[in-house]
Amino acid sequence: MSAVLTEQLGPRGRRRVRAANAVAIVFILALAAFVIYRLQATGNFEGSLWEEFIDYETQWPQYLLAGLGYTIRAALTAMVLATIVGFIAALGRLARSRPVRWIARAYVEGFRSVPLLIFILFAYLGLQQLGLAFISPFSALVIALTTYNGAVLAEIFRAGVLSLGRGQSEAASAIGLNYWQSMRLVILPQAVRRMIPSILAQLATLTKDTSLGYIIGYEELLRRAGRLGEQSPSNNLQAFFVAGVIYFIVIYLLSRLASRLEVRQRRKYGAGRVEAGAGLEDIDALGVEADVSEQRLREPAISA
Amino acid sequence: MVGLLAEHADVFWSGFKVTTRLALYSFIIALVIGVIIASFRVSPIPPLQRFAAGYVATFRNSPLLVLFFIFYFGFTKLGIQFNEFLTAVIVLSAYTGAYLGEAVRSGINAIDVGQAEAARAVGLGFVQLLSLIIIPQALRTVVAPISNLFIANAKNTAIAVSISVRELTFVARQVGSSEADYVSAFLGAALLYMVSLLFAGAIFGWIEKRVAIRR
Repeated sequence: MSAVLTEQLGPRGRRRVRAANAVAIVFILALAAFVIYRLQATGNFEGSLWEEFIDYETQWPQYLLAGLGYTIRAALTAMVLATIVGFIAALGRLARSRPVRWIARAYVEGFRSVPLLIFILFAYLGLQQLGLAFISPFSALVIALTTYNGAVLAEIFRAGVLSLGRGQSEAASAIGLNYWQSMRLVILPQAVRRMIPSILAQLATLTKDTSLGYIIGYEELLRRAGRLGEQSPSNNLQAFFVAGVIYFIVIYLLSRLASRLEVRQRRKYGAGRVEAGAGLEDIDALGVEADVSEQRLREPAISA
Repeated sequence: MVGLLAEHADVFWSGFKVTTRLALYSFIIALVIGVIIASFRVSPIPPLQRFAAGYVATFRNSPLLVLFFIFYFGFTKLGIQFNEFLTAVIVLSAYTGAYLGEAVRSGINAIDVGQAEAARAVGLGFVQLLSLIIIPQALRTVVAPISNLFIANAKNTAIAVSISVRELTFVARQVGSSEADYVSAFLGAALLYMVSLLFAGAIFGWIEKRVAIRR
């Protein structure tokens, strides 16, 4: 990429780059040193503030890892349900009946312009008020994540089906398959394969979003880190930092896997992760749009 | 629901104003961060490339709420006194800046090599080449992703409720609790978010029509 912007450097250019390198290294080190110095000066590196997180005797590691288990449980449950909801909504958007299309579109577009947190608060406090007293933080979180991500996944599914092009469904009807047969036998097997990287990327986003369960008191990783922080306020920053590192590892692995698969598919099919509909690709909590747009931008270069 | 909203219209309005300010300030700073990060990533200077890549990976793979807490308690621990609003602006712009950095970078990659070659031919140095030729075109190429990020950032302002910024979600929860009517309060807030974000989307659509370059 930078090869596009800089040519083969001459001796003077190389000298300049070397100088800029040195300045950049000094600058970055100075920044890091400043932060470390301040943290040191305020006593945040004291071993006693950290050792409880790795000491099995304190029960803290077990407590946090069990919290991670609850995070994963909520994420997977919501993901499975959201996939079903998204699939139905996508079929609705592709349906031949106009009212059905309209309802599906209102769901997809309306639900994507409201913050997820409002859904979560509504699903917990609002549904309890409406008489559903049995709503636990877990079910409220799953309900909110499902309705919200269903709308996002619907767009991914729709884009996956549309990315196949007309030829496939035309060929299917030419050999006498009806709508459902062509969906089941021709369109979906191909579309689903293409959608897998996007779905994985969405799972990473969804895992991030489970942390919002904190606000309604769901006992996931972040809530548990918060509880440890309340219990010993002197290392609340350390508690959140440890939780952050655990989240980072899980989410990073998921998104790496998604982009790996995408690269492999692009090599195989000449097409990458499918892109959600034009102007609608806000795969929210800031999920994958940058990559999506990158792919869209790259496409003309491939076909040209 | 209408009654409750009318009765507390001034409270909702003040919350809405805080949300709007939060969304606008953080997005403007995020744009600056995004352009800087993207410039670092395409610069010929490896330390800056790595710094930018690390920044993007860190912020994109961490939950926003975790970042809120780390910054909030971190600032306190470092003895820096910021109010909640300022902390929220910093966290949101750092987070959205990472995404914008990726969006701008993809815009830069989409620009024809000829542009850079022509700029060098007329004697522009790297910084001039980037700021005068490449970045303006890159931004115009990625108007659609930028507009999506604006909306996502505006929605993420709701998370500032976690550090007690008195924005729309905070206000809705407060009214809901004092009136024992969460349903109306949250529906009202949802409606406000939806209307204003659909409106923002329309404005971006208009901007896109005027300035966007299609490739």
